[in-house]
Amino acid sequence: MSAPLPVQTAAPTIVVTTLPPERQRTVLGDFREIIHDFAGARDLLRQLVRRDITIRYKQAFFGFAWAVLVPMVVVAAGLTVRVAMAHAAGRTLNFHQMAGIAVKSVPWAFFVGCVNTTTPSLLANLSLVTKIHFPREVLPLSAVIAQTFDSAIGFGIAILVVPFLGVHFSWAALWAPVLLVLLWVFAFAMGLVLSCANLFFRDVKYLVQVFLTFGIFVTPVLLDAPMYGRIGMNVLMLNPVAPILEGLRLSIVENHNLLEPLAAPAGFDFWGPGRLVYCAVWAFGLLAVALLVFHRAEERFAEIA
Amino acid sequence: MVFDRVWKKFHRGAVHDSLRDLIPAMVGRILGRARPEDVGLSDGDFWAVRDLSFEVGPGQCLGIIGPNGSGKSTTLKLLTRIYAPTRGQTAIFGRVGTLIEISAGFHGDLTGRENVFLQGSIMGMRIKEVARKFDEIVEFSGISEFIDTPVKRYSSGMNARLGFSIAAHLEPDVLVIDEVLAVGDLSFQQKAFGRIRDMTRSGIPVIMVSHQLERVAELCSHVLVLRRGEVVAQGEATDAIAAYVQQQGTEAPALEGGPVRFDTLKMHSDLPVNSGAMFGVRLEGAIVGEITERIDPLVLRIRSLRSGQILYIVGSVALGVEVPKTGAFAADLTFQANVPAGNYLVEVVAVDIFGNKELSSAPPALFRVVEPTTFRGTVQMNPTVQLVAK
Repeated sequence: MSAPLPVQTAAPTIVVTTLPPERQRTVLGDFREIIHDFAGARDLLRQLVRRDITIRYKQAFFGFAWAVLVPMVVVAAGLTVRVAMAHAAGRTLNFHQMAGIAVKSVPWAFFVGCVNTTTPSLLANLSLVTKIHFPREVLPLSAVIAQTFDSAIGFGIAILVVPFLGVHFSWAALWAPVLLVLLWVFAFAMGLVLSCANLFFRDVKYLVQVFLTFGIFVTPVLLDAPMYGRIGMNVLMLNPVAPILEGLRLSIVENHNLLEPLAAPAGFDFWGPGRLVYCAVWAFGLLAVALLVFHRAEERFAEIA
Repeated sequence: MVFDRVWKKFHRGAVHDSLRDLIPAMVGRILGRARPEDVGLSDGDFWAVRDLSFEVGPGQCLGIIGPNGSGKSTTLKLLTRIYAPTRGQTAIFGRVGTLIEISAGFHGDLTGRENVFLQGSIMGMRIKEVARKFDEIVEFSGISEFIDTPVKRYSSGMNARLGFSIAAHLEPDVLVIDEVLAVGDLSFQQKAFGRIRDMTRSGIPVIMVSHQLERVAELCSHVLVLRRGEVVAQGEATDAIAAYVQQQGTEAPALEGGPVRFDTLKMHSDLPVNSGAMFGVRLEGAIVGEITERIDPLVLRIRSLRSGQILYIVGSVALGVEVPKTGAFAADLTFQANVPAGNYLVEVVAVDIFGNKELSSAPPALFRVVEPTTFRGTVQMNPTVQLVAK
């Protein structure tokens, strides 16, 4: 190393304004920043969603048909399981039960799709995250929105098919949009947490794989919750996705008003408005926490990744 | 933009990248064994940027130069809020335009057209704005023929050209440039440099990092020289660059104890020199050691800032100048700037003729040559040395 250079200070640029001390971080202040970030990134979000949707089906032989094919596979799997079970019990599967599977499979496929696409969303855009400043929340959000377009097609088809399975819609079906919003919020909140966690710990993606593979066994997708028995059902319904899926089935297929309690065929209490509150608290509670955690971790993304 | 006493700590080696590593670390922290983060350096930590302050106002262009790993890019990332400072604060007022890795947001499966919109909005442009400037961007990139081709089929040059064109049409309030002066082929490089020059002269604050000192000298009004995260020199662009080049060129620290002490080497005038014209340099120093047969106490060199190479070298012996054997001396040197337009350094050194070793050196003086007038096409500096009484 050579000798240190004489430091010349002739430049007016070097006189530095002292910045005011940094403001204290508050939860409220952070939420204000988050809202400001989202508002400023609307156009970016649109472009990212368009990208996510476009690249999903570019160079895919079936193209958009995949949006329908994936939930159809889940429905088919559900039917297989249920037919086998009905057969073992010496009964036949009725159309109503088939409709129930269809109504639950598509939202479940949506949830799985969201978790699958949001988890790597930050890591996949690493070159952006480490080079350009923009609100990173838009990356998992765009993945969720792209998945929403996808699943909307599948859900639309499910709704069209369900009447042919002997389902008559009633006013109770108006609960469906409410439940879908809760599912969406929960999926987005999970996406925020998982994408962020995946950046810090690369083992998160393996955990996610395990949960998604076995999640279908601890979520009433192929089976209905009461089929697990009273205790089994109550444990199962702790999974926040479970009441949403069951609520969808009850409101669309069984024409049940979700504010009314409902007993399971075996006689024990199955549904009550408490279930609705439970998943709503989960969805919005997790969203608030996730946004905050994400926002505070954001400034370290470029270093950690 | 303001950089107020900023420190940035980095960790050498791996950070906790999997849960297996984190859990013991967390336990350690809960048990109170880990030190609080902000206070100091723990094992393996180092300051990538150490107590750095500067401010760049409208119409100013600040260049940051320094060897690899000196904290230049980190500084820019701190400034653009990609990193958060460990200590201190940064502030930028207005929309930031960054010319850093400009094709980072491209997705290979999307066409050039789609990527322009995507990259534009990542950089903070509104969709309407991109649409308005779209033709201009494509025109500038010169790849309009392939704009509907997926970017994965682009050559790396095309990629960079399109990326640069988008960034160059951002109309930012503040411009941050990191090593993007060498984009594409020679003609595009000139076009890109012209664009950057226009942007820097439009009156917005600009900060740039580059190893191309020639370009820095041309664009920047002020320069910071960083080494290991600290400012080692700062000031007028020409002075700071000259100091940096000298530091780079002379690895050996023994120059202090040479037989000649050079005190000043200064251009007579700070004005640019016309190519082919004469210019003068003032040299002051003293003979402090023994001048043997082996030593030429006064060797003049001209170094190109662009290439870093020495273009011209002549010694006092060849010039027939008798340097006094002892005591202080002063000299007026003149040169004919018989070189193409650009930035050059005048260096004066004392050398061991046989060992071809530098013994002492003066802080170099930078001169700028403009517009070829009577440039004769070779580097022939026609120097003279006039020793004057002191």
